[in-house]
Amino acid sequence: MATKSHEPVIGDGSLHIGDRVVYPNQGICRITGVETKQIAGQNWEVVTLSREEDGATVMVPKGKVMGIGLRKVADVAAIDRVFDELAIPNTDPQLDWKVRHRENADRMTGGGLFGTVEVLKGLHALSRVRPLPQKERELYDNARHLLVGEIAAAMNIPLHVAEDNLDYALWPPSGMTRKGKPLPPATLGPPSPARPAAEEDLGFEDEELGGAVVAAAPAAHESDEEEEQPAAPAAPHKPAPEKEKSKPPHKAAKPAAARKARPAPAKKAAPPKKAAPKKSAAAAKKASRKPAGKTKAKGKR
Amino acid sequence: MIRIVTLSEFPPDVIDFVTRRLHAAYGMGCELEGEGEIPADALDDEQSAYDAVKVVDEMDDDVTLYADDKILYLTTEALTAPPGPMGRGPVDGYAQYGGGKALATAHGLADKGVPLEVGLAKRAAHYVGHLWDLHHCFDPRCAMHPGWSPGFAAYPEVALCLFDREKSERKIKLGSS
Repeated sequence: MATKSHEPVIGDGSLHIGDRVVYPNQGICRITGVETKQIAGQNWEVVTLSREEDGATVMVPKGKVMGIGLRKVADVAAIDRVFDELAIPNTDPQLDWKVRHRENADRMTGGGLFGTVEVLKGLHALSRVRPLPQKERELYDNARHLLVGEIAAAMNIPLHVAEDNLDYALWPPSGMTRKGKPLPPATLGPPSPARPAAEEDLGFEDEELGGAVVAAAPAAHESDEEEEQPAAPAAPHKPAPEKEKSKPPHKAAKPAAARKARPAPAKKAAPPKKAAPKKSAAAAKKASRKPAGKTKAKGKR
Repeated sequence: MIRIVTLSEFPPDVIDFVTRRLHAAYGMGCELEGEGEIPADALDDEQSAYDAVKVVDEMDDDVTLYADDKILYLTTEALTAPPGPMGRGPVDGYAQYGGGKALATAHGLADKGVPLEVGLAKRAAHYVGHLWDLHHCFDPRCAMHPGWSPGFAAYPEVALCLFDREKSERKIKLGSS
């Protein structure tokens, strides 16, 4: 059972019912009230918030409101400083993934406006050097989402206009200025290695690409393990095509599933192997052992 | 279903190309719903371009939307948007984030050296993406890359990056449930 208190003091007293606030990692919320909830036999005073994006209700124990980083939506002056900061190009992204991960996690948990800006700017600068791995791509999207929401709420403009303005600073179109200073126009960044096979899926390639075969890159993202390797600033997947070239084309083109489905014919093909000369059989054995040893050693490391 | 309403005249093959590209990008049905008229009072103060936000908000159409249907308006008129913290920049469309209506224009495509159907399809995919809460993407090949960036003309194919493709699929699934 819930009962509403009459004169609630929220946090340090600066927050009131009806205020728009920023909840770290959640976005813009509106304080809807202070209630007493009975949870596990104890009475808890909770501040209820309604997330503007989807109307979800968030409950925060009253004593923890300031501790979790709940704060009022930034004012116009702060947003102006955000754009000043965004308009300064970041040419020195943090390349050490451990340091970067720790710093970005701290900034996002803190929930500060400028922390989110730093995360976005840092990852944006990194994306200009090489494509982001999956988790950082998600973090980049999350930081962008929070920032766009706060800019729109603070300036009372549509989300779309807020995001366009954010990118006028990050990717300045030609002729864009900030406080009278011209910004360097955006240059072409590196494309992501993973490409969707959208058209092949739907069978349009025959009609509109004139039957040309479009090679679909492997859909695998850069994993976190890959991050441990030193970052190569340009052309991260250069060795791969060379390998593919050295392989016979029919083998490279075969899907993994087709290769898996081969054990039965392999059994039938065994007798000819026996008939083969001893030398070649031994060489084949050696060759088949080598890669296994290599993978084992890699695993141990 | 993505429903297209034209606010200017387009050759049928262009609309056909756009519907096919949208279907390929989002795996959703896409069809031409009909024609409409751009609201005259959406003209900006200088009477040189239409305010994209006003066009979408004030559009009076009788298109019936069901569940997660989206409307995409296509025009050839020049568009503008309310000034933001960076002032005014290039505007080639508008979308209600997470909403149901979007607008894309073919204006300015000739200056970029991109064929009309390809440029319009890429813009259409971009603004429809915003309807599913997709944000701008740094990958120049992705349709969600900002339209004013050099990547727009450098990579004319209409495709989403893997991240945006997965995100849109999640949103579409969530919407239909």
